[in-house]
Amino acid sequence: MALLTFDHVGIHLGGKEILSPTSFEVQQGEFVCVIGPSGCGKTTLLRAAAGFVKPSGGQVLRQGQVVTQPNREVAFVFQDYTRALLPWRTVEGNVMLALEAANMPIGQRAQRVQEVLSVVHLAEHAQKFPLQLSGGMQQRLQIARCLAQSPQILMMDEPFGALDAMTREGLQDELARLVREQGLTVLFVTHDLEEAIYLGDRIIALRSNPTAQQPSLAGTIDVSIEKPRNHLKVKEHPEFLRLRRELYFYLGHV
Amino acid sequence: MFDMLKYLRPWVFPLVLFVAFDTYVRYVAIYSDALATPAQAVLAWWDLLWLTSDEGLMRVTLFTLLTAAMGLSIGVSLGLLCGLVLGLSPRIARMSFLSIEVLRPIPSVALIPLSMMIFGFGMRMEMSVVAFATFWPVLILTQAAVHQVEPRLLEVSKALGLNAWQRMKWIILPAMVSRLFVALRLAVSVALVVAVTVEIAANPEGMGYAMMIAQQSLDPARMIAWLLWIGVVGFAINAGALRLQKKINQRMGVNEIQAGSTA
Repeated sequence: MALLTFDHVGIHLGGKEILSPTSFEVQQGEFVCVIGPSGCGKTTLLRAAAGFVKPSGGQVLRQGQVVTQPNREVAFVFQDYTRALLPWRTVEGNVMLALEAANMPIGQRAQRVQEVLSVVHLAEHAQKFPLQLSGGMQQRLQIARCLAQSPQILMMDEPFGALDAMTREGLQDELARLVREQGLTVLFVTHDLEEAIYLGDRIIALRSNPTAQQPSLAGTIDVSIEKPRNHLKVKEHPEFLRLRRELYFYLGHV
Repeated sequence: MFDMLKYLRPWVFPLVLFVAFDTYVRYVAIYSDALATPAQAVLAWWDLLWLTSDEGLMRVTLFTLLTAAMGLSIGVSLGLLCGLVLGLSPRIARMSFLSIEVLRPIPSVALIPLSMMIFGFGMRMEMSVVAFATFWPVLILTQAAVHQVEPRLLEVSKALGLNAWQRMKWIILPAMVSRLFVALRLAVSVALVVAVTVEIAANPEGMGYAMMIAQQSLDPARMIAWLLWIGVVGFAINAGALRLQKKINQRMGVNEIQAGSTA
């Protein structure tokens, strides 16, 4: 059974159709990217997947169960990391929140926090406060908190969109490594084609202003470039150029 | 040398005022019974300081401060509690909107006759008026602070599966702390003002009453001494509250612009 199933999910917000009925599945261990121009409903789609938004039609299923509200099994990485962190808690305290929420026995918490922080290379900053960290480090902290949830699936809403290019590439590599090492399942929203190709096993392309002839789902493509990947190799790969071209067509850029 | 100038600068204006006032009383209002020179006021203050009777500076000041503090703590705790309830429940807020808007504009001094009928003279009467006066700003600011909690953090709490009580103690309350301190600082200054006002108008105790007695016994030096002393006490309390607020803001990771500490 698929880990996550979108079964004809349509979403209206304020009387406007944001997402026309869309169906797709995410398998265990898969890295699925959702791309599309801004305003095409990709963030809304992700919020529906996590249970923050209720679909107007159809349903979202996680392991066969209808999703009606957010659940600890789903970790959500927000784009605006500064606002998603608790400024009054230290780095350690922010990760601790996930363990407190999950009611983990107190004796095991400190070790788990250390584990998660060292995975994202923040162990030596454990006692700092979020505002003392750079943007990239703050986002790594949010990812650490999500990992501490030990979720079934990680949902990420343009997590690197607000970062500079260098930091972004570094974090993309770190995320790819994490996913590989921990066997994570990821649903990843971005508007950056190259990011989607670099990270994804499969890419779902959405278009804005859906109509009956042109539904939200523009197409789905598999990325067959072998893993682990690195930036230089991927960007010179003929497959990369072919996929980017295909996605451009899907999104109507050409 | 420049360092010393920096520390002396805030004293320039008071000094000019001191000299000007002194000159005015000494050479212009020379036959006035209503005025005393600042120097005489300072001397009167010095006498008051060493007075051990019930009219002594320390005892009188302590009465006002203690009463203001107790009224303040009642007003602030009730205001906090009600503000939280109103902030969390839009339904209750709608139900109580009218009553609040009718009661809130009542000047706290207008409550004196009522509270005097209930409590008579003394500490309890003064306390109740202070509590009434500090209740409203704390209520309104607490309610606003609940609404201003970062919506993203509420989503984080949902994603982490926090229950209502956990969300309250781990997210909402800590997120409100810096704004609550703005409310507290406001309430502190209101408390002192109202306490002294009640003493001037009705309650025969405390600094306000001491000043009235000095006036009625035609002792302008003592009256001005009390006046200046009330100013100094208010300044000290506000400075202390400001320092505390800065510390809290630092601890809670909030910069001052966000917390609106200019209020």
